[in-house]
Amino acid sequence: MNLDAAQAIPELAESGLVPPAAAPLLLRVARGELVSVHGELRALLYSGVLLITGGAGVLVKENLDRIGPVVIAAALGLAALAALVWVARVAAPFSWREMPSPNLAFDYVLLLGVLLAAADLAYLEVKFTPLGAQWPWHLLIVALLTGFAAFRYDSRVVWSLALSTFAAWRGVSAGRMGTAVLWAHAGAVRWNAVGCGVLFAVLGVVLVRTRRKAHFEPLAVHLGWLLILGGLASGMTESGRTGLAWAAALLVVGAALAIGAYRSRHFSLFAFGVLAAYVALSRLVIDVLEAGAAEALGCFWFSGTSILVIIGLLVAQRRLKEPL
Amino acid sequence: MTPELARADRAEAVRNAARSWRGAGVIDAAALQAIEQRYPDDRSRVGPVFRVLLFLFTLLAGNALFGFIGVIGGLSGSNRGDALAVLAVLAGLGLTFATDVQIGSLRRRQGGIEAATSFMALGYLFGAVAWWVFESKTSADVPILCLAGAVLCAAAAWRWGYPLYAAAATAGLLVATAHLSFGRLLWIVLPLAAAPVLLRLSASLRLPPAHRASCTAVLSVALAGLYAAVHLGSWEKQVIEEIGERHHQAPPGGDLLWWLAVVATALVPAVLLALGLRGRCYPLLLLGAGTAVASLVTLRWYVHLAPLWVVLVVSGILLVAVVFALRRYLESGPEGERHGFTAAPLFQDAARLRLLEAGAAILTLAPEARTIHEEPKFEGGGGQFGGGGASGGF
Repeated sequence: MNLDAAQAIPELAESGLVPPAAAPLLLRVARGELVSVHGELRALLYSGVLLITGGAGVLVKENLDRIGPVVIAAALGLAALAALVWVARVAAPFSWREMPSPNLAFDYVLLLGVLLAAADLAYLEVKFTPLGAQWPWHLLIVALLTGFAAFRYDSRVVWSLALSTFAAWRGVSAGRMGTAVLWAHAGAVRWNAVGCGVLFAVLGVVLVRTRRKAHFEPLAVHLGWLLILGGLASGMTESGRTGLAWAAALLVVGAALAIGAYRSRHFSLFAFGVLAAYVALSRLVIDVLEAGAAEALGCFWFSGTSILVIIGLLVAQRRLKEPL
Repeated sequence: MTPELARADRAEAVRNAARSWRGAGVIDAAALQAIEQRYPDDRSRVGPVFRVLLFLFTLLAGNALFGFIGVIGGLSGSNRGDALAVLAVLAGLGLTFATDVQIGSLRRRQGGIEAATSFMALGYLFGAVAWWVFESKTSADVPILCLAGAVLCAAAAWRWGYPLYAAAATAGLLVATAHLSFGRLLWIVLPLAAAPVLLRLSASLRLPPAHRASCTAVLSVALAGLYAAVHLGSWEKQVIEEIGERHHQAPPGGDLLWWLAVVATALVPAVLLALGLRGRCYPLLLLGAGTAVASLVTLRWYVHLAPLWVVLVVSGILLVAVVFALRRYLESGPEGERHGFTAAPLFQDAARLRLLEAGAAILTLAPEARTIHEEPKFEGGGGQFGGGGASGGF
């Protein structure tokens, strides 16, 4: 409902700024006489998929001995197959461009099929261990299959699953947006986070440059940069010169990201860069101040530099003119 | 709220609507530009990303400056609480003035900085009141604080037009009334008495958009409070009395009040949904749906109809079936609508919604990461149930 717009519409229609044919519909929507529940129906479908996959997980956990592994694997596989066959039947022919969903349920049935298939694969691996010592590779297989499904059926949700499953294969929990590595203190995980991040960011750029599923780029690039910055930031928790070296690296990368994003008008990446660079610079300065045990200087640093950043941001936003 | 600010908010509402029409292709770029000229923006606004950055850095700058003054003034010791409280009052008043100047003569709106200064102003003033209330060792410290917080937030919501403060004021008022001996009754009576007025005000053209949104926020919190007061679990555990720090014995189950709570737990969501559907009132529909889920979970808590996995799978299938049926019902109506509802997206930003969905999928469905250092060691039967979303070990 937008009562002020409702008041303005008749006048706008009269002056020809709003097409007279569209005015009655606009007026009804603005007055709240016609309400769209499109978003709500999508949210309910998403919740339905979550409930079904959650229920399937509980079923497997609680009834493993009673039902038997073969029945469970077959049931999961059949359910996944049913969902994916329906998707394959109603899907539009493949295209590298963005495709509209054939219907409201399409994305969610695909998601259900992919989740059940992934669960089935994981279950088969756990029970029958076909990959033996190489069992972690099942995550890579799932990531590749999910990525294929995302490309074939043009689903952003499934694409996000493919990226997060790939990161999980490298030991990085994308669900925590890379922040988990802050407490991991594990060099391997840190480097994996940075590596995954670089791979995702490059993949995003390639998608745009080649104009193939270019609308998948924002997700890949944002997740990629979160993992890169999270990985570098985790290094700052190390003591001594190692921590300072990671902070310096974060400062350089954050500043470079902010400058690059400023030039290319990527507002959210600009924010990532500014925050990362500020945190890294403060870490370096605080390290120096701590040696002198100057509490007041620390407060002065944060107040003074924050004001400088605010001034810089105000100047930057005047030039960039971010849409409201 | 000044008349100039109210006018600016109304014009912004029209421009917002025009942008959504442009997004849906109803009007062209030239028409959008003409509408923006007809309803000009006299405020200084920034986009969402810069707004968040400016908000965060203003918070950091303000608090660090407060700390700096406190440290160099020698107020950081434990025996200087009174002086620190005075400094907090001065800071709060200064920030209130700064917010007023920014929103008033500097004409800032949706700029991040003025929101941060308003937030800090409330925080410092509330902090100072809290210090003196706790120092006075009065027995009614929490209700006094909640009332003070409610008054501060209500004044801020009225003056600067932030609905979030209106919601906080309502929550503060509810917590304060919970300390009265008939607190639970007030949690029921006040929302019931206020709801019709708030509903009317939230759709009144006489109020500016920000105040209408504030009325909706107050209504939502009040009705959530009403549901909490009549909920069966809240009655059994005496949750409202616990909030009011009045430790009652658990009431006997199965008496008249217990049965009334059972009926109300089922009835409130149904009434909210019915009213929401009838009036096409989005906040009531949202509250009705939320409380319905809470009541269904409560039902499962008391009545074990089936194992958990059956409940989850059947609920999921039912939910999907309901969506299919609803969509078909709406789409089969004349011009794809029935009773003022449609399944068509109308003027929503579909691309933005899908990006949000994908982000939510990463947060909710991302599989657990494998533990890297376990890789060389194979023990058979290890690993994770998951990948592509499902997670959890077994």
